[in-house]
Amino acid sequence: MVNDNTNTTKLQELHAPPKPVVVYGTIFVLLFLPLVLSTPLATEILIWAIFGMGFNLLLGYTGVLSFGHAAYFGLGAYSSGLAFRYLDASLPVGIAAGVLAPMLLACFIGALAIRKRGVYFAMISLAFAQMLYFLALSPLKHITRGEDGLTHIPAMAIFSFSLGKPLPLYYFVLVVTGVMLFVTWRILQSPFGKLLQAFRENEERAKACGYNTTMVKFWSLVISAFYAGLAGSLNTVYLGYVPLTTLFWLTSGTMVMMTILGGKGTFLGPLVGVGVFLFLQNTISLITPRWELFVGAIFVAIILLFPGGIMGTLEEKMMAYRMKRASK
Amino acid sequence: MFEIPWNVIAMQFFFGIALGCIFVLLSSGMSIIFGLLDVVNFAHGTFAMLGAYAVFVVISLSGSFVVGLVSAVVIVGIIGMIVEFLFLKPLYGKDPLLPLLLTFGLSVAIPDLIKIIFGLIGKPVNYPEALSGTLMLGSVIIPGYRLFIILFTLVALISLWLFLKRSDLGMIIRASTRDSLMVQTLGINVSRIWTFGFGLGVGLAALAGAIAAPMMSATPDMGVDMTMTAFVVTVVGGLGSLGGAIVGGLLIGLVVAFTAFVAGEYSSVSMYFCMALILLVRPRGLFGEQGRE
Repeated sequence: MVNDNTNTTKLQELHAPPKPVVVYGTIFVLLFLPLVLSTPLATEILIWAIFGMGFNLLLGYTGVLSFGHAAYFGLGAYSSGLAFRYLDASLPVGIAAGVLAPMLLACFIGALAIRKRGVYFAMISLAFAQMLYFLALSPLKHITRGEDGLTHIPAMAIFSFSLGKPLPLYYFVLVVTGVMLFVTWRILQSPFGKLLQAFRENEERAKACGYNTTMVKFWSLVISAFYAGLAGSLNTVYLGYVPLTTLFWLTSGTMVMMTILGGKGTFLGPLVGVGVFLFLQNTISLITPRWELFVGAIFVAIILLFPGGIMGTLEEKMMAYRMKRASK
Repeated sequence: MFEIPWNVIAMQFFFGIALGCIFVLLSSGMSIIFGLLDVVNFAHGTFAMLGAYAVFVVISLSGSFVVGLVSAVVIVGIIGMIVEFLFLKPLYGKDPLLPLLLTFGLSVAIPDLIKIIFGLIGKPVNYPEALSGTLMLGSVIIPGYRLFIILFTLVALISLWLFLKRSDLGMIIRASTRDSLMVQTLGINVSRIWTFGFGLGVGLAALAGAIAAPMMSATPDMGVDMTMTAFVVTVVGGLGSLGGAIVGGLLIGLVVAFTAFVAGEYSSVSMYFCMALILLVRPRGLFGEQGRE
């Protein structure tokens, strides 16, 4: 396509998807993460980053705020935990269970509520997550073990390669993270991914172009539940135990805070947000048990001052810089 | 099936209504805030928790329950107005999800602040002496305090209704809910009305927290459950409808009380089931306007 106007070419480039080097570069950098941070913290960052990528797809790229993503994360964690513990499932089978169950739940919640406007959907998703939490807490206590969480989950192995030690587990999770990072990158460039972003920018206009916005939002929710369930089952493999807090509202809230902190709607935002959040949480909780006060206050400050988050603000600055250069 | 005596059922009904009254106060505050500012207040339960602590502090200072209730509303209402002025005002006209996220941040931070000031363990609030007894109505036993909750809520709602319908300020609030731009054009400082409206809504939450305090004592983490209840009632009753808040609140109160009686372990889950059912049968809620959800 020939374009005479240099300005528009520049602008088109600004909205271009991340280059392949960003994807492979990130994976390369993550290879060395255990050298900088403790291996368990690094593993936790990757697990939450997978969760975050899916959440960002929904909040950042589609513009739908789910305040109950703990439901998918926790259901994934419990499904694979139950499969491992009671059915002696192998790793792939357990993870498959942990991914399918949340997707089915997302189909149900999506069918009921995805048509609602933003704030309403946020409330409903949160209420459903609380429903699962209370179900696991008390009526289903005989299988979920209630407040104690699901314990005695055997250590996993893949191709007779034990994942019981921290470092092999880290690299296993890294392989999954790498694949999901690549998948996310491909999704964003697919026609479906373009549609998501079109809706976020202007839903009415996308509707007028003849697209079924409800269906696209619905599938975005289901895909996002896939990521959350995957992260949940990896969390079960990592901990060897399913804490009840995986279903707790604060898990959903933490995910929201991480994504906003990193920058919603940016490719690397969730990874950066998760990393910074977990690092902050670990550091502050060494000093005081009241880390929530600081994290909450930081979050309020970000909403007020930098609603674009870390990566969003950086991108804005880059854009302003490029616009300035282009106009010269 | 074994037979349940009717007076036991009547008592459960009574308990459900009393519980529902607390939910009504809570959700009507939420409803006012949503109607006026289009903000879903995630920290609503947190303000109710502040109300419970305010009543605890004022009672231990003054010894009077009534003074405690009134000052809880005033103190928390003022805190709410400050919050709206400092934190929410800068966000109007931007992404509609930002106010929700901001109040969420507050609901994470404020309970920790309370833990630092008052400690991790909850503070018990005594029943006022005159209301701690029970009443016999035929063969139905009625605890005095629960009867007080019902009567008190009735009075509070009637005064709220009179305030909104009859006073000038109430009229301006109703008009701003409909069309704030037009009110602004008529020369009224709508920005101040918003601040006041947020204070009023949050004050109602504080009232709910304060009258609930003797039954459940004030704990730092009580806010989340109350926020969640307010959400469920709002979805059941219909977003932004005061009538919906009243009917929805009473309905949820009854559902919770009867499940607690029949199948105790399901009592926390029951209201969410109720919400899912309403979403299936009548998606906009009992009193919701079409298209607002």
